[in-house]
Amino acid sequence: MSFLDYVASRWQQLLVDSYQHASMVLQCIVLATIVGVLVGVAVYRSPAGAAVATALSSAVLTVPSFALFGLLIPVLGLGVAPSVVTLVLYALLPIIRNTIVGLSTVDQPVLDAARGIGMNRFRVLTRIELAMAWPGILAGMRVSTQMLMGIAAIAAYAKGPGLGNMIFSGLSGLGSANALNMALAGTLGVIILALLLDGVFVLLGRLTTSRGIRG
Amino acid sequence: MADNNMPAPEDRTNGHGVEIRLEEVSKRYPGQKLAAVESVSMTIPAGETVVLVGPSGSGKTTTMRMINRLIEPTSGRITIGGQDVLNLDPDKLRREIGYSIQQAGLFPHMTVGENVGMVPSLVGWSKQRTTERVDEMLDLVGLDPAEYRKRYPRQLSGGQQQRVGVARALAADPPVLLMDEPFGAVDPITRGVLQDELMRLQADLGKTIVFVTHDFDEAVKLGDRIAVLGERSKILQYDTPDAILANPADDTVAGFVGAGAALKQLTLRRVREIELGQVQTAVVDEDPGAMRDRIGTRRGAIGLVLDHRKRPLRWTTAREAGAVSSLAQAGRPVEDSVSPASTLQDALEAILTDDDGVAVVTGSRGEYIGVVDIDTVMTTIKSLREEYADDSNGDSGSTGPDSAEASS
Amino acid sequence: MSNTFTSDSGSGGAERLRLFAQPVVAAALVVGVLAFAYTQRDNVIIARNVTASTLLTLTWQHFLISLAVAVIVVAIAVPLGVLLSRSWARRVSPLVIGLANIGQAAPSVGLLVLFFLLTNGTTGFWIATLPIAVYALLPVLRNTIVGLQQVDRSLIDAGRGIGMSGAKVLLSVELPLSVPFILAGLRTALVLAVGTASLAWFVGAGGLGELIDTGYKLSNWTVLSVGAVLAMALALLVDWLGGLAERYLSPRGLR
Repeated sequence: MSFLDYVASRWQQLLVDSYQHASMVLQCIVLATIVGVLVGVAVYRSPAGAAVATALSSAVLTVPSFALFGLLIPVLGLGVAPSVVTLVLYALLPIIRNTIVGLSTVDQPVLDAARGIGMNRFRVLTRIELAMAWPGILAGMRVSTQMLMGIAAIAAYAKGPGLGNMIFSGLSGLGSANALNMALAGTLGVIILALLLDGVFVLLGRLTTSRGIRG
Repeated sequence: MADNNMPAPEDRTNGHGVEIRLEEVSKRYPGQKLAAVESVSMTIPAGETVVLVGPSGSGKTTTMRMINRLIEPTSGRITIGGQDVLNLDPDKLRREIGYSIQQAGLFPHMTVGENVGMVPSLVGWSKQRTTERVDEMLDLVGLDPAEYRKRYPRQLSGGQQQRVGVARALAADPPVLLMDEPFGAVDPITRGVLQDELMRLQADLGKTIVFVTHDFDEAVKLGDRIAVLGERSKILQYDTPDAILANPADDTVAGFVGAGAALKQLTLRRVREIELGQVQTAVVDEDPGAMRDRIGTRRGAIGLVLDHRKRPLRWTTAREAGAVSSLAQAGRPVEDSVSPASTLQDALEAILTDDDGVAVVTGSRGEYIGVVDIDTVMTTIKSLREEYADDSNGDSGSTGPDSAEASS
Repeated sequence: MSNTFTSDSGSGGAERLRLFAQPVVAAALVVGVLAFAYTQRDNVIIARNVTASTLLTLTWQHFLISLAVAVIVVAIAVPLGVLLSRSWARRVSPLVIGLANIGQAAPSVGLLVLFFLLTNGTTGFWIATLPIAVYALLPVLRNTIVGLQQVDRSLIDAGRGIGMSGAKVLLSVELPLSVPFILAGLRTALVLAVGTASLAWFVGAGGLGELIDTGYKLSNWTVLSVGAVLAMALALLVDWLGGLAERYLSPRGLR
């Protein structure tokens, strides 16, 4: 069967897998953003704290995703849980680092002005600092999303959701007529999905970044 | 010449430099209607410093960079020491031309010594000879070799980096030096120091220097000749600084030279070159009445009270002299004085300080010699302008022997 | 925003922390997990699968794949990067980088499986090494290009101006000044290689991932952990070596 015929005949399954793949990645990104921004806010004032947070999250990136994933299976069981934790951990570095950098580079005069007109600490943080750091944070989310799209394919190893299942089916189906088609569908699916999500992020960036600070 | 290199040191005139000639040199970039540089012709005499000055966009840097073929001319001929540069291999050509740019361009990953020794090693000098030369060059530009040889560029100040840049340009003893706004990126004080150093070096080495700048004051200070360039590097005036200041060829040049041109000329002339006037003088313990009579009733007449060593003390009019019992209180004190070696600019300042249209000139022991008055200064400026008015502007610089000797 | 960070940790303090702590942590992990396995040596499954020779073989395979990938990547990506950074390639280079960026979005396991299937199920060292090398190409390629492009133009002008030939400027000025970038890219590529080599067992090329799979299939979490932790330790070690290279192989005048 040719590749296009294959896709035409299995498009529903592919769509479900794609949706689950993207949905898992995006939920993990949201989680990672919440955790990452909180950590960033907590440590950006302290050089030592920032160094430790950055070092830890970048060390995570060094570790092979398969190894981390595997290690979490005995702890969290099979299915979705080890995938989610792995993905969130991997997504942390770009977000934490960009949060710290973004918050640290807000001009002192701007902060002075905000305090001067009577904003309290919390308001200054949310309405000024985070708002100005937002483009950087969004960029970090974008980078992490790209990373996660590839790593998420591993989830299928432990019966997790996503396009990885297509790839693994292709692997175990060696010799059968559709093995190559399945692997190709899985791989290309991830690539296309990644590009689509990247475009969404660009759009999101344009929409949510105030014109005054757009680069 | 037997080989394709520039004249050997023994063949060069005037010490070390060689003559550079541009003949109808143009640079046209594809797709652009107007040329960047249009048909420039000039002769840069051996051993002289010629400054190309002009506003940005005049193509002065482009013109200079065609000399060492960093930019290839679209048409025209450029010769150095009689050799057509197009006949020489560009890399080899550039090893025989010193090149110094505004950002110094020191390679940050090499030590100062390695930077300065780059061209000698490219040309194939032995390690021993290169090291000696590097030390010699660092010394020449005022940096202690032992201290600076092993340093890295980022450890040096802007002024020091520029010195190393010049040392690197001179390392292989080229007869020609091209400098593109080399002192533009440092503070004014350092710039002045570096300019003085360059003049000192040039006095020793006598190279042919082509210097590009947009700062006319720098051009006046450094140049033996100045080429004021307009759009597309059209030569508006090519002459000695004196001549240009005295007689700007057109409104553009005048505008470039600035309103201070007449004053700038005053820095090129000395008090001893003009005729001094005299006023009535009296020693301080003389009779005021006698002085009043001597000064006379002519309008504006003024006298000078001197001390026993003939040093000027006070200015006084006839009436002021008559009104006092002792000349020690007559009129008002002398505020300023000049010597025969002072420039006319100093004289003008003294005239303005003392408020009467005159300034007193004193000798080596401070004694009164004469006065210089404002009319004499203005007459001198006028005659300078007339002196150069007869020369036409297209002349490539042969303004006669006066121009070289007059400013001393 | 491009996903190029010259140094993955992106902060000086974090960098120094990692340079110091990472080898220590890696060593501790190795010792810890091996001690843990040792206490359970009575267990038949563990005794059979966690032997010295197995561990050494798998680690060696893993290491060899990563090394081969590194060599291939440097041999291809650096010269390619040099070519793409030249002025005549100005129009082509964004295209190539764009293509490579798309390639980076591909799942590494997908590339491995595709290559495996395309070679009709051949297993072995090169079936794993080649697709991993393709995957790891991008960081080095991109960093080489960026590294060369960020060289101050006035230095190249100064170099040509004093009579250095184009080749001499490339070799003596541009490349040395790009080394920090290239090394950073190489470090990222090496980490990617070690990470993806954990999947090499899919195509029969061994590596520590095989131990993880064995543990998983036998539901023996100790065996799984040994494989996983050793793989982590290897990655941390390789990254640490990369960090050392970045710091100490960069030209002195730039540090």
